[in-house]
Amino acid sequence: MSEKPAYTKPLPDLRPEDAAFWEAMKEHRFILPCDDAGKPFWYPRKYAPGTLSATSWSDASGNGTVYTYSTHFIGPSKAYKGDPPHIVALVDLDEGPRMMTILVKDEDGYPSLDPEDVSIGMKVKIVFDDVTDEITLPKFTPAG
Amino acid sequence: MAEGTPDIKEARRMLGKGICIAGVGETEQGIISDRGSFELLTEVTRTTLDDAGLQLSDVDGIVTAFSFVESTLMHSTTLADYMGMKPGYFASVAVGGATAPLMAVQAAMAIDAGLAEVVLCVRGDNTRSGISSSGMIAMAREMSHGAYEAPFGLTTIGGYGLLAQRYMYEHDIPQEALAAVVATQSEHAALKWNAMLRDVVTVEDVMADRWIATPFHAMDCSLVSDGAAAFIVTTEARAKNMKKKPVYITGIGEGFSHQYISEAESVASVRDGLGRAGRRAMEVAGITPQDLDVAEIYDSFSFTPLIALEGFGVCGPGEAGAWVMEGNAKLGGKLPMNTHGGLIRQAHLGAMHHIVEAVLQLRGEADDSSKTEFNGGNHQVPDAKLAITNGSGGILAATSALVLSSEPPSAA
Repeated sequence: MSEKPAYTKPLPDLRPEDAAFWEAMKEHRFILPCDDAGKPFWYPRKYAPGTLSATSWSDASGNGTVYTYSTHFIGPSKAYKGDPPHIVALVDLDEGPRMMTILVKDEDGYPSLDPEDVSIGMKVKIVFDDVTDEITLPKFTPAG
Repeated sequence: MAEGTPDIKEARRMLGKGICIAGVGETEQGIISDRGSFELLTEVTRTTLDDAGLQLSDVDGIVTAFSFVESTLMHSTTLADYMGMKPGYFASVAVGGATAPLMAVQAAMAIDAGLAEVVLCVRGDNTRSGISSSGMIAMAREMSHGAYEAPFGLTTIGGYGLLAQRYMYEHDIPQEALAAVVATQSEHAALKWNAMLRDVVTVEDVMADRWIATPFHAMDCSLVSDGAAAFIVTTEARAKNMKKKPVYITGIGEGFSHQYISEAESVASVRDGLGRAGRRAMEVAGITPQDLDVAEIYDSFSFTPLIALEGFGVCGPGEAGAWVMEGNAKLGGKLPMNTHGGLIRQAHLGAMHHIVEAVLQLRGEADDSSKTEFNGGNHQVPDAKLAITNGSGGILAATSALVLSSEPPSAA
């Protein structure tokens, strides 16, 4: 097995309350945090925002709709130099919450979707990109 | 003046003491590699004291912000020590772009509480020349959620871009509307003595510029600059013996809608959250948007003032783009906006320069024609009496607004 090149783009800050999420991502399972009434929310927190109730995790479909996007021609660090533009998007998940992601082609290495293939309102689904041995990022690709 | 809710009455009571800005100052802006952060802050303090006709010993309170270069958890007292002051009141405010108006509010509250009478509010930094590359990366990451946004390569520009692109989609706003904000402010910056960018650009120039993150071209984005600005907050009673005519703070307001852009509920909720700051400030002042003579509106990006104009009620939802394209925001227009060029054309020091410019406008001192060495011009709005100014921190997350007036607040 050939070794992957070192991943130099930003990795998530890891906090104890997020461990279950990143563990599930590693297993290619997408889960959402829910409040004590079973309502999912985003982003994960130990206690539910607004009520500070206890929380639990539930499986999610990974299906959603593009709420908005911005095609980035310049990235936040040197690691993006020379890359084609990347498309940061906010996706409304079928379960309700809205999350940030990056829109990619469902191909080896998950290259960026071409900007002309993106529109607000388009249906997308999750793909699991194992960017390091420890971290899998939830990226989205056009559905169907 | 309308009755107002209890909190409005309380704000009016405080401002009814004649809380005013009695002096302002600003340094050159741009690339200033021969001066450090505290040096710039001291330089502008000297200019501002001179403007008010005060000595440093007359100042008994200091409100500062933060520095990207000189990291200290005690910014206000570190500067006080550097300048040789022993202030009775000190505070460092750090709410990103909302900081400057919040500094004025902090000073007003300190005066109202009897903690100080003459408060120096000063902010400046050598952000452009002095920042390290790790500092720059930290700054870029500052507005992203570290776990659920930053890993997707979000930039601050793109974060604003997400909201701007949705706004344009919902209201069918053309790209030209954003470019019109830049073109308008470039005409104003051409007259302002210390603006970094003095050339006038057209809508076509902006449209042809390189993309940074959609819907923003490079010219749609604010500048990174070195420089400092300051203002002195005091009471009408104290200002009587000072050099310049006081400019009164007659309205204050704050509004918050979200911290991370992923958490913003909708375009309407963001408009309402930031708009609350301006609407409340005008309610406290007992005025409506139609009463305003000049607007110094936070402009981190060309899109930013559009949603603020709508939130404040100057325009209806989705109408600000057309309003700017019609020329209403220009000098000579219905409500001249960012008469100093703003963050896009003058310099980026949060909303400090917006406050300074509003004060100069209300004192009738916004004609830089005499500054021939800087090729200054006249950007004075004739007979300006009422101004609104605001600042927003984060990606339109937290907003603070002031109404400034050449006249003291009328009795409630």
